[in-house]
Amino acid sequence: MIRSIWSLARLDLMLWRRSPWAVLSALIPPLGMALLLAVLTLSVGKQPVALVVNANGPSAQQMAHVIEGDTEAYALTVTDARSAAQQLHDQQVAAVVVIPPGFDDAVAHHDATLDLTLNNVDVDFADDIRRTVARSVAEFDAPQLGIQGELGGPSKGFLMPNPYRVAVAENDLRITNVDFLRYQVLPALVLLVLSMGVMGTALLSARDVERGTARHLVLAPVPSWGLVSGRFAGGLLASFIVLAPALVLCTLTGVISPPPGHWPALLALFAATALCAAGIGATLGAWIRGARTVAMAASIVATYLFFLGGGFTTIAFLPVWLRAIASAIPVRYAIEGMRQCLFYPDLAGIPTDLAVLAVTAVLCVGLGARSVRRSWSV
Amino acid sequence: MRIAAAAAWAGMRAEALQLRRSPLVVGLACVQAITFLVLVSLFGLTGSRAPTGLVDLDHSALAEHLVADISAAHHSFGLHRMDGRTADAELRRGNLAAVITIPAGFGAAVVRGDTVAIPVAVDNVDADLTDDVQRALPSAITAFGQELGLANIRLRPAELDLVDHDTDFIPYLVISALALDALVVSGVLAALAVAREFEGGTARVLALSPVHPLAPIAGRVVTTGAVSLVALLITWALVVVGYGVTPTHPAEMALGLAGCVVIFSCVGVAIGTLIRRTLPVTALVFGVALPLYIDSGSLEPERFDGNVIWALAHFSPVYYAVGVLEDAAHGLRVTPEPAWLDMLALLAWAALAIMVAWRVLRRGVTA
Repeated sequence: MIRSIWSLARLDLMLWRRSPWAVLSALIPPLGMALLLAVLTLSVGKQPVALVVNANGPSAQQMAHVIEGDTEAYALTVTDARSAAQQLHDQQVAAVVVIPPGFDDAVAHHDATLDLTLNNVDVDFADDIRRTVARSVAEFDAPQLGIQGELGGPSKGFLMPNPYRVAVAENDLRITNVDFLRYQVLPALVLLVLSMGVMGTALLSARDVERGTARHLVLAPVPSWGLVSGRFAGGLLASFIVLAPALVLCTLTGVISPPPGHWPALLALFAATALCAAGIGATLGAWIRGARTVAMAASIVATYLFFLGGGFTTIAFLPVWLRAIASAIPVRYAIEGMRQCLFYPDLAGIPTDLAVLAVTAVLCVGLGARSVRRSWSV
Repeated sequence: MRIAAAAAWAGMRAEALQLRRSPLVVGLACVQAITFLVLVSLFGLTGSRAPTGLVDLDHSALAEHLVADISAAHHSFGLHRMDGRTADAELRRGNLAAVITIPAGFGAAVVRGDTVAIPVAVDNVDADLTDDVQRALPSAITAFGQELGLANIRLRPAELDLVDHDTDFIPYLVISALALDALVVSGVLAALAVAREFEGGTARVLALSPVHPLAPIAGRVVTTGAVSLVALLITWALVVVGYGVTPTHPAEMALGLAGCVVIFSCVGVAIGTLIRRTLPVTALVFGVALPLYIDSGSLEPERFDGNVIWALAHFSPVYYAVGVLEDAAHGLRVTPEPAWLDMLALLAWAALAIMVAWRVLRRGVTA
């Protein structure tokens, strides 16, 4: 029996190899997503801001120093008022911060302002700039509320009094921050597995029905569960063949570096995800007629599973009703589990994630097997 | 000329018949259009209000005041009140971005003039999120101090906005998503119609016909364009009804969308002719659409991402489409170029796309 399953799996793999367009169909969406991440990485974090210093006193210099020192938040251009206005008009900068004339006198009278002219086209980046400028203002009177306070200060037991009477003692959960690219590369790999599993298995199932080879398979002297297992094994192997080089590349470049002992859990999550995807693909391929329609439907299904599963979002940010929907999406458990494996010191919650994925995989494979069997016997 | 027109008309009717016989394909195209609205909305939801646990051990009026300021700090925090133990567990499980604890005695200490350190535990798993939390807290604290009129505060920010209203992130995103919709729906339907001609071998037969071989294919593309326009109008209606975004300039919006349909239908024709297979069309268009969308000013004016990315964006019609649509919907200027220039560029793109599609198709059919 194992031989029969292996034969069918090999056949499916050969079909894959001879269908470069089908492979391309499955690979393009994750590649597009990877490219999107690369572009997005360049646009998060810093905002382009022009600084105009129209005062010369020590307080003005101190303020300018605070702003220039926050290199994490500002992509700063120090310039004159006229040039800053032109840059704002040409969208070379999103905001202009002005230290106005008479700043030192106003500071002495406790009535100074830091003038911000903001291109508030959309609230997302406008709020980023508002937050950053507010922090610079806070840092002027309370140095510990700025970048220095984050690095050491109240959290290390060193508290300086400040006029706001509130300080922040920040304790980070982990030693280093995970940058945006490393955080998001994992979902791109999940999309790769999903796309290969759903699209690949769906196309192979649809192809069997469309070309009439399903009837020959039914007549083969092998039990139907063996044939179906072969189909899933083929889909699973195809996913792994594509995933393996991507994982190796990410590991070698340090994009993926789980703590010691987390690899088995990570690989188990990938395997369970691939099995779920193959089951969903088999169901789709058996229900929908025509490779073209199957490709479209598989693309939409993979997209929804990916996004609602937290592929490009953080589920905890979503409204309650959406979180309820997301809790029924198996990919959510895959992504959460993988993030736990990669970014957290322990494997808390992994057994639950794996259990949910395993149950879903069994259900998907069961449903997929039934659909495939039915489509073959029609 | 009359024969060519008749052939084009026949092509239109044939494609309409084909689409009528494939309601699932048309339905999926419409679903895909709406899918992008859903997707960008989901993305937009993660741009603000980081889920944050609030543990209030003080329960004083001043603690409440600070909580209100934290809550109002530039859409930064989605506060959830909870006890310390639950907050810690939720933070470790990744369900919270941070936990803010207001210590017992906070109110009394502030009244005395002492400085109180607020413990803030941050899940710094994602640098972007961590930055937002770290930058927003000082903003809340300055508001707290200024509202209480505390002594020795010497400086405050004075903001002047270029636009008289703030546009929320999701309404901004759904408008740029319409350009993405146009790309995907028009591109896919047109590419499928053309690729089918090659896959089924009818392209060769057309080359031997006494009429211009491109006329019936052009007719087919006109039909797919009309269907795409209907799908886009449905999506636009959803944006108006579901998201409450009523266009400031409806005529500009309609012209912009129509221009997008023409351009991306022609792009679809070129793709269908070049790959000559229906199978990879959807994935190819979808895969190409995502990076093009991001590099088009869809999240914020593209020039804010630097001159290189901005320069590259000029090679994509989506850039001009987003410029036109954001101006039409919200009255926003998201490109350094004025909206009329974006519209002109879009029309030029349409003319160029028709010419390129025609040439590629002619070479494909007669080859």
